[in-house]
Amino acid sequence: MSELVQFSLGGRLKPKGNIQTIGIIGCGTVGQVIARIAAQYGMDVVFLDLTEERLKEIYTDIESQLDEVIAQWGITSSEKKLIMSRIKGTTTYPDLKNCDLVIETISSRQKGTLLNLRKELFKKVEEVVSSETIISSDLSTLIISDLAVVLKHPERAIGLHFIEPIDKTNIVEVVKGRKTSDETYEKISRFLRMINRKAILINESPGNVSTRILIPLINEACEILMEGVASISDIDETMKETTGYIYGPFEIADKMGLDKILKYMDNLYQEYGDRKYKASPIIKRLVRANYLGIQTKKGFYNYEGSKPVGNTISCAIIN
Amino acid sequence: MKIIVLNCGSSSIKYELLNMPSKEVLAKGLVEKIGLRGSAIKHSRNDGLEKKITGEILDHQQGIEYLLGILISKEYGSLKNMEEISAVGHRVVHGAEEFSGSVLITKEVIGALERSSELAPLHNPPNLKGIYAMQQLLPNVPQVGVFDTAFHQTMPPHVFLYGIPYVLYEKYKIRRYGFHGTSHNYVSHRACEMLNVDYDKQKIISCHLGNGASVAAIKEGKSYDTSMGMTPTEGLIMGTRTGDLDPGALLFIAEKERTSISYTRTLLNKFSGMIGISGISSDMRNIEEAAEKGNKRAKIALEMFAYRVKKYIGAYAAALGGVDILIFTGGIGENDTETRKKILDNMQFLGIELDEEMLDKRGQEMILSTENSKVKVLVVPTEEELMIASDTYELVKWHLS
Repeated sequence: MSELVQFSLGGRLKPKGNIQTIGIIGCGTVGQVIARIAAQYGMDVVFLDLTEERLKEIYTDIESQLDEVIAQWGITSSEKKLIMSRIKGTTTYPDLKNCDLVIETISSRQKGTLLNLRKELFKKVEEVVSSETIISSDLSTLIISDLAVVLKHPERAIGLHFIEPIDKTNIVEVVKGRKTSDETYEKISRFLRMINRKAILINESPGNVSTRILIPLINEACEILMEGVASISDIDETMKETTGYIYGPFEIADKMGLDKILKYMDNLYQEYGDRKYKASPIIKRLVRANYLGIQTKKGFYNYEGSKPVGNTISCAIIN
Repeated sequence: MKIIVLNCGSSSIKYELLNMPSKEVLAKGLVEKIGLRGSAIKHSRNDGLEKKITGEILDHQQGIEYLLGILISKEYGSLKNMEEISAVGHRVVHGAEEFSGSVLITKEVIGALERSSELAPLHNPPNLKGIYAMQQLLPNVPQVGVFDTAFHQTMPPHVFLYGIPYVLYEKYKIRRYGFHGTSHNYVSHRACEMLNVDYDKQKIISCHLGNGASVAAIKEGKSYDTSMGMTPTEGLIMGTRTGDLDPGALLFIAEKERTSISYTRTLLNKFSGMIGISGISSDMRNIEEAAEKGNKRAKIALEMFAYRVKKYIGAYAAALGGVDILIFTGGIGENDTETRKKILDNMQFLGIELDEEMLDKRGQEMILSTENSKVKVLVVPTEEELMIASDTYELVKWHLS
């Protein structure tokens, strides 16, 4: 029992309207990084997943991510302890009740947009949180208004898209739906500033800005590869050197996961019907072979840990 | 006039409640381990009451709320209510070129402090947290910022500029600022009082040796040079900071380890210095303990620390054209007799003659040199809080009049 509580001045110092506690539903790769970043910037995080066993796995994953950051001199061991102490897992919705913001980040690797499942989650969240809580989804090819329809207060719904590599990208796409209030947008922008990120305002449109540009880029890189114009490494190298990208198209595809890329391609193709979004046969073939990128240690590259060691597909050059 | 002085560090807040101008300390304490396990407030009152109160302290705001709650409480308090507080003085680490003295905190001052946060990323943000919290809790009470950099604003351009294109100074104000100014200012004045000599006529070298450490060269009453630079990372080897480092080595490290800028900053400020070399701790006591047991890296870390201080003393003696007074302060400077001995070893050439009987004493004002010593060597425990309270009192008195 805290002895200090008796000296409290009634919480007169708690900042009003700031986001202090965030909830994350479906703590996969994206959710874990968001949890880690928010906790690193002093927020409390409650993540919700299906089973106790899964919660343990998530803790271990986040811990090993932090160990990697320590090895790169990014944080100290005591900072890691502090970050971990701010992250709590749960399997039940009522534990999200004190959250000022809840972000749904359920698997983006399964086929389709999982619209109905996401709607169901939105409803469940609204039942347990306060009327002030913002409800959000990390979405790329979905639009927030389609989810907000199930809410009693759709003005509190807002879309977020954390762009890969999430821990290095200092912008987040913020998607205002048809009914999103200005207050919700302001609060989210403030939250992003608190975690050292800038909000890029998006008028809702599947694929936002980043995915709309990235998907045709990866498709075109696959075309170039199939035509035998250049090797995987050389295409990546060229794009990095000429455009200043941190990763080349194949590197980023492997990092994001080819199953996820394929899903984005299918969703965008279905939405716009434009061939530039139609999944390249190479991507389909790799996904079928379970070459999903870094997560399976094989994608366009072979991997030792997270380090690429040679290409999996040779360039078809005519001798 | 009752004044609260706050010194907000990254995970701690030192506080003192003083009655001014009598300089009477009514209560003081330390909020420790903010955001960590085992957080607590160690509080003491001038009637001898001492109390450690434990409980969860999640952030600086909560820490300040609790410390104010304690100060007005029946059991441990010194105030009837918060209305008794007339002013708050904050230690602020970086004032950049904008502040050469203490100031009343206004919206404009906060804006300037937020801008200078990138120059002191470990220190200014917690200082600002203290200011925000007090603004919220005591909105009508004047607040004063006392800057660590202000004392060193008298450094001449040939001392404060770096050997980089001048245009970078003009564009970004990249230059040496120096820190621990409040401490160097206090101990140098106090040393002259103790020796009964004229402050404006002395050549003084002041060594503030704590977890953060710096040396200052003071000529004719003004700071002439100091070992910390644009950030508190330059100069002496510190608890977790590198001190002087070849920029070429830094580039090489960043290239080899493929570290980002923010990670490189952490490497320089949190993984380096005594903890980086010894691999044991940033705390001298733990390192000395390990060295006694024969730990080689602990031994070399201690040698490195003392050598770097000695080197700066030599350099500043040359820069000042001699030295009249050499001062030790800060946790290590006041208490670590072994480190002090290492630094002072073989310094007779400079005119230092030590009183052997004094060398093992610690934690009090004292003169370590003999009466005949050309250079007077003193230990002066630092009183930064008192300096901050004095500046706050002067400014608020003027503001209210």
